[in-house]
Amino acid sequence: MRSITIAAKNAFRISVEAENISPDKLAPLTIEQIGSLFVWQGNRQKKLSDLFVVEGDDGPATVEEMTIRLVGDFSQVKRIGEGMTAGVVEVQGSVGMHAGNNMLGGLLSISGSADDWLAREMRGGKVVVMGNAGNYLGAGYRGEKCGMRGGEIEVRGSAGAYLGEHLCGGSIRILGDAGDFAGAVNQGGTIFIGGSTYLPGAEMSKGTITVKREAKVLPSFLKTEIVQIDGLAFQKYAGDNVDNGKGELLVGVGSS
Amino acid sequence: MIVKGGIVYDPANGLYGEEMDLFIDQGRMVEQAKGEEIDARGLLVMPGGVDAHSHIAGKKVNTGRIMRPDDARQGTEPRTAVCRPSTGYTVPNCYAMGYRYARMGYTTAFEAATPILEARHTHEELEEIPIIDKGALTLFGSNWQVMECVRDKDLSKLAAYVAWGLRAARGYGVKIVNPGGGEAWGFGANVKGINDPVPNFDVTPAEIIMGLAQANEMLNLPHSIHLHFNNVGKPGNYTTALETLDLLKDIKPSRMRQIVHVAHMQFSAYGGTSWRDFESKAPVIADYFNCHNHATMDMGQLLFGSATTMTADAPLEYGNARLTHNKWSNHDIELEESSGVVPMVYFRKMLVNAVQWAVGLELALLVKDPWKVLMTTDHPNGSPFVNYPEVVTLLMSKSKRDAEMATLHEQVPKRTVLGGIERELDWTDIAIMTRAAPARILGLEDKGHLGPGADGDVSIYNLRPEEVDTSQDHALVKKALANAKYTIKGGVLVSKEGRILAAPPGRTFWVDAAVPQADTDRLMIDLEEKFAKYYSIQIANYAVQDAYLPHAKVIRAGLPVPLQEVA
Repeated sequence: MRSITIAAKNAFRISVEAENISPDKLAPLTIEQIGSLFVWQGNRQKKLSDLFVVEGDDGPATVEEMTIRLVGDFSQVKRIGEGMTAGVVEVQGSVGMHAGNNMLGGLLSISGSADDWLAREMRGGKVVVMGNAGNYLGAGYRGEKCGMRGGEIEVRGSAGAYLGEHLCGGSIRILGDAGDFAGAVNQGGTIFIGGSTYLPGAEMSKGTITVKREAKVLPSFLKTEIVQIDGLAFQKYAGDNVDNGKGELLVGVGSS
Repeated sequence: MIVKGGIVYDPANGLYGEEMDLFIDQGRMVEQAKGEEIDARGLLVMPGGVDAHSHIAGKKVNTGRIMRPDDARQGTEPRTAVCRPSTGYTVPNCYAMGYRYARMGYTTAFEAATPILEARHTHEELEEIPIIDKGALTLFGSNWQVMECVRDKDLSKLAAYVAWGLRAARGYGVKIVNPGGGEAWGFGANVKGINDPVPNFDVTPAEIIMGLAQANEMLNLPHSIHLHFNNVGKPGNYTTALETLDLLKDIKPSRMRQIVHVAHMQFSAYGGTSWRDFESKAPVIADYFNCHNHATMDMGQLLFGSATTMTADAPLEYGNARLTHNKWSNHDIELEESSGVVPMVYFRKMLVNAVQWAVGLELALLVKDPWKVLMTTDHPNGSPFVNYPEVVTLLMSKSKRDAEMATLHEQVPKRTVLGGIERELDWTDIAIMTRAAPARILGLEDKGHLGPGADGDVSIYNLRPEEVDTSQDHALVKKALANAKYTIKGGVLVSKEGRILAAPPGRTFWVDAAVPQADTDRLMIDLEEKFAKYYSIQIANYAVQDAYLPHAKVIRAGLPVPLQEVA
């Protein structure tokens, strides 16, 4: 195993784009080479070592063996773990927008909260957030027809609006609430929301959305039956019928 | 500037791979010159490429950009000391258009469809496309004034309107798209063939096409009419194509050129009665072109992958949107046209797409005379123009075609004849189809050749035509064509091995045609009324001002009458 720690030198006021911070990019490099990689801060290109302190095992290693630990304030650092295929990125704190986007494998674990667009268009691997996640979690970026296609996302807190928009596969599990329009245009993924949400599954054509507590359901969903899951009763709906959808929406009945 | 020792293909001047030096002075080809030497010893040298049909500027293109932020994410390149940032693949931003054409060795591209009402927008974008020379064809096919003149059989008034419209739009030539259909679509209908009357106008597409073709020749315009047939993109539409072509065969051309240029022929060479029995009718179409000399075409080759369809054929786009369940846009352009945009992905394993792919290649290979077929992809309808090297290598290599065929839907050999075509084009054919012929078809005298006086546009590729086997080494050819070793535009070295070295502004060609004042006076009575009653803007605000074309190049044409200022 190879483990390195990247510490933010200060709390960035101008956000940083650091798509280089991923096991795939860093595994083959020595500590010194890592420090000389480029990142963008605003419209300025800087060396990674200008903004971060890199320490730990000197390389190289395989991607699978690679663990990257991020400490300090990463809440303004974007695109962490972009396109990673294996290995581990462990964020001790909160992370900026677009973390884990286009991720193919490995583990991205965040002990704080994540900003918008976490794991957008993810295809594989696992993302765990101990705090909250922002808007467009696991969604497709502007204009894209497919968001997340595979893999697994777990958020222990709440998620923002447009959770899993254009979901094409994979599963998302939110223990808290989700914002408006969770699972919009779901085309085959699975979403579980432990709390409540508002108007889930708009324009969904396939897939399943389960809401344990309350949800305002769109009038274009057809009420079908009451089902029991793990001893709890859920009202089942079929939809979204605006576009002949064959999706499944389950909303808890009288849960505590 | 001196281009030393290249193997020069300049078919317009009878040079088919001759080793020679080329001289450029003050932006033009000359007999002798001094200055910077470019080492092209043994390398393939051709005139700068000319694209006669591409959608590079204007409202449709911009609608595509707005609709497709997903497309903008592809092909992003940061700014450099010379270049502004690039975005997009099927609908790149303006800057990227110029850089990407220049990288491939192209120095001229024409926007294929602009309504007069939106010409100002087109010119704003054209002006922002660096390096290449440009022009825009003006849409007349569903225009109320045109249809009224055709109905009244008033050819001189029609010619006066075409001249006025070209001047108002700062346009280069007459584009006709699904004639009459754009107007019918305003009522949710379409014209089904060339003899199907246009609602409320009592004219047929055939009459519109004939009228505009006659007016075009009366005005002695450098380009012929540029025609997008009725029923484009529908199974069995080859009969419409043949009927339309036959209609025009007896018109007398005013210049040494075709009577009609057919846009993206590939989309109009289909047999069958539905998508189920859809098949290629390219051999029949090619046969017609081989037996007649009044028409030319561009391929409109389709390639697999992402595209954005955009056309003034709005009902076609509505059909595309219903077919693909994709996002779509339709647009009504007042008294002139309608249009639409739909993103598209073409698949190898989808039979219809695979047959379409074969049809384009069949057309280019079965028409014997390369002067009659231009290599295009109808950018971005069939594929983005950056994929031209792919099309060229398909035309030059039977083995590449066979390898591609093997990856397609298994029914393709039954629905097409491509597998049986042995012909492989050579560099002379390619130089004609991408340089000499488009320039001649457009009537651009200083483009597409390297004779003295021609524009100093030269492309030099990292290929040794005397050594490379284009039939087998297609991967090498494709790579070399994608990034020219040198692209020279107007005597300036603009691109070297894919790197843009300079980005001077290009010129915009437009045609100013003279007509008798009396005809214009009669026309203006009609137009004043239309603007007062129907248009959303005043006639005084309609025409594009010269301020929008700071690099204009005006080409004079018109009737042999004493030149008079036309209002």
